[in-house]
Amino acid sequence: MRKRTLLVLLAVLAMILAACGSGDEGGDTTTTADSGSEETTTTADSGGEETTTTADGGAGGEAPESIKIGAVVPITGPFAGGGAQVERGYRYAVEAINEAGGVFVEEYGVALPLELDLRDDASDPNQTTSIMEELGGEDIVAYLGGFGSPVHAAGTAIAERNQIAYLGVATALQALHEQGYQYYFSPFPKSPDIAISVFELLDTIPEDIRPSRVGIFQETTDWGEELGALWEDAAQQFGYEVVLRETYAPGSTDFTDIILQAQAQDVEILLSLPTPPDGFAIYQQMGELGWKAPFNLVVRAADVPTWNDLGEAGEGVLLSAGWHPALGFPGIEEMNQRHIDEEGRPADPVVGGSYSLVQILAAAIESAGTLDHQAVRDAIAATDMMTVAGPITFREDGTSPITNPLMQRIGGGVELVWPAEAATQELVYPSP
Amino acid sequence: MPSVVRWTIVLLLLAGVVVLGLVTDDQRILTIAIQVFMLSALASSWNILGGFAGQISLGHAVFFGLGALVTREMWLGGTSLVLSVTVAVVSTALVSAILGVPLLRFRGIYFAIGTLAVGVAVFLTIGNIRPGISSLPVDALREYTFTGPYYFTLAVLVVTVVVSIWLKQSRLGLGMMAVRDDEEAAGATGVGPLQHKLSAFVISAALAALAGASFAYFSVSYYPNFPFSVVWTFEAITVVFIGGLGTIAGPLVGSAFFVILRDTLPSGIQELQVVLFGVLFILVVLLLPGGLVEGGQRLLAALSRKGPAPPAQQRETAEKEEGKRL
Repeated sequence: MRKRTLLVLLAVLAMILAACGSGDEGGDTTTTADSGSEETTTTADSGGEETTTTADGGAGGEAPESIKIGAVVPITGPFAGGGAQVERGYRYAVEAINEAGGVFVEEYGVALPLELDLRDDASDPNQTTSIMEELGGEDIVAYLGGFGSPVHAAGTAIAERNQIAYLGVATALQALHEQGYQYYFSPFPKSPDIAISVFELLDTIPEDIRPSRVGIFQETTDWGEELGALWEDAAQQFGYEVVLRETYAPGSTDFTDIILQAQAQDVEILLSLPTPPDGFAIYQQMGELGWKAPFNLVVRAADVPTWNDLGEAGEGVLLSAGWHPALGFPGIEEMNQRHIDEEGRPADPVVGGSYSLVQILAAAIESAGTLDHQAVRDAIAATDMMTVAGPITFREDGTSPITNPLMQRIGGGVELVWPAEAATQELVYPSP
Repeated sequence: MPSVVRWTIVLLLLAGVVVLGLVTDDQRILTIAIQVFMLSALASSWNILGGFAGQISLGHAVFFGLGALVTREMWLGGTSLVLSVTVAVVSTALVSAILGVPLLRFRGIYFAIGTLAVGVAVFLTIGNIRPGISSLPVDALREYTFTGPYYFTLAVLVVTVVVSIWLKQSRLGLGMMAVRDDEEAAGATGVGPLQHKLSAFVISAALAALAGASFAYFSVSYYPNFPFSVVWTFEAITVVFIGGLGTIAGPLVGSAFFVILRDTLPSGIQELQVVLFGVLFILVVLLLPGGLVEGGQRLLAALSRKGPAPPAQQRETAEKEEGKRL
């Protein structure tokens, strides 16, 4: 028996070695640069399918067929609603850049199309890391991140170790920028921006009806702890009173207790940052309990289009997703029109930020003139350009001085209510 | 096969995996190998409790997680890796002894449910008290190579397999198997059921902690509650059943099969991997109760046409003979 066991073991180990040596063909969805079909590389200038070769003696040897970008996005799981927006932003931008001729790489003396290798991490940070490990071995020029702080927090360390630039939006975790990472860039409002802007908006409400009693529903995550504390500090700074700060575990299903506590404390300003499923559960249960604060900020969950399914319970809720088509930056109109054509509604809040990441990366590659990881990283750090998310530069820590727009769900749409100069509608207060 | 030849093959295999870490720096190859070693070690540790002592624990990830948590905290805090791992293993063994006394008073499905409840409670608690991600410091990230984790995880696997082999042949291990086969009969013959089950529980937990330590050493970035996830328990159980319950080679074969299949599934099927492995698990339990090891033995017997009867057939024959005697 032992003899045979060993033989089986030998066979299995042979399988391991064979499988390891066979390279990687699985686990990915490679979309094309300009057509959306699979595994097709299209040259920048003609649109026809051909192998790109070095033009007029480019010094860098034979050019690759495309510039490969690795993206890890939650297409399934709790962050799927946000992930779909991120995916759309990346895809639109890649296709737009390729239709315009691709990205000129001086090293090869030719414009190359972008190729997006987008994979689903199922909203699981642990899958994010393993997928990023795989992508790291596959000649990508940079990583593009997904949606939600947990997946970004997991992914950035891998990017740092692999010394490949990582660009991400839909993450507000400031602590991640305090690790000393050199390869992580995020042109997205961070917790300190979010904490302040909501009180700046509140200060615009006429004093006689302005609410003052703040309640915080804080999930037990690193971002929850960070933003909860910042909200409390900002409330004090702006002269508001925090009467409730309750924590809950992500994935909880019953929020009755904290809702009733908020009601008992007469909370007028309810601040929360739930995952989409938690946010839906909180507001659905509020609807069932017949109570809702007059002012509600749901930083993350309300940016998912299906929020409208909540009906009245979700009406009037504010969200902070970092971008709105009404901001009016160059390129928004075309992108927004495409979104309307495909989805039947203006671009969702995370689409713009995601789109801008591809613009930043393409410009950095062109500026670097090479696909070398370090050169591309340095070029991203030196970014100074206009994108659909506005003018972008990066601070030393990888954050970007960027406007934090606040939006409100009104009549099934998402209206921009802050900053006032770009607002599409005035804040509806109290919430319907 | 003569013992010398058998051990030569084992040593050649071991030499092969030792050399593999020296001759390649391919991230993908090393990652797959590390995952196979780690899951093999975890599954082998579960096999001691489930396969040798017959106690189906659904909370095994608690010990894997504790090993990872203690190792990571101490190691990133500046303690040497060896001391961190030692403390992790010893403290996990103590915790398991404390948990084991009440839990092992349950039997069968009640024990399984009890361990599952403990596992879920610990997972949620760790998630609440340690919500932040655990990442290696920037300097460590820049210096990180796969070689260290590769050999560390391989060493953990070797230790786990050696302990399993020793246990299977020892008086203690035979006592565990006696308790597994018939608790009352074992008790009547002087083999203390609780002592033997508790011994299996503690040894199994300590080895799971060792596997958890390798996870902590290998992983660049993860949320501290992740190693406590019940997914680790179910993966360990799945690979033990797929490979062969109660055997030494089963967890190793099952882990290699599981990890390689999972990592090479085409993208369209990868999302269905849980379903796929669930179906596979059911098929193995129904059609191949001895797992892939037994399947391989049957195949070899069929090919050679002169080998001994496969274990299932042997058991059948033995049962018939026993029935006749009775």
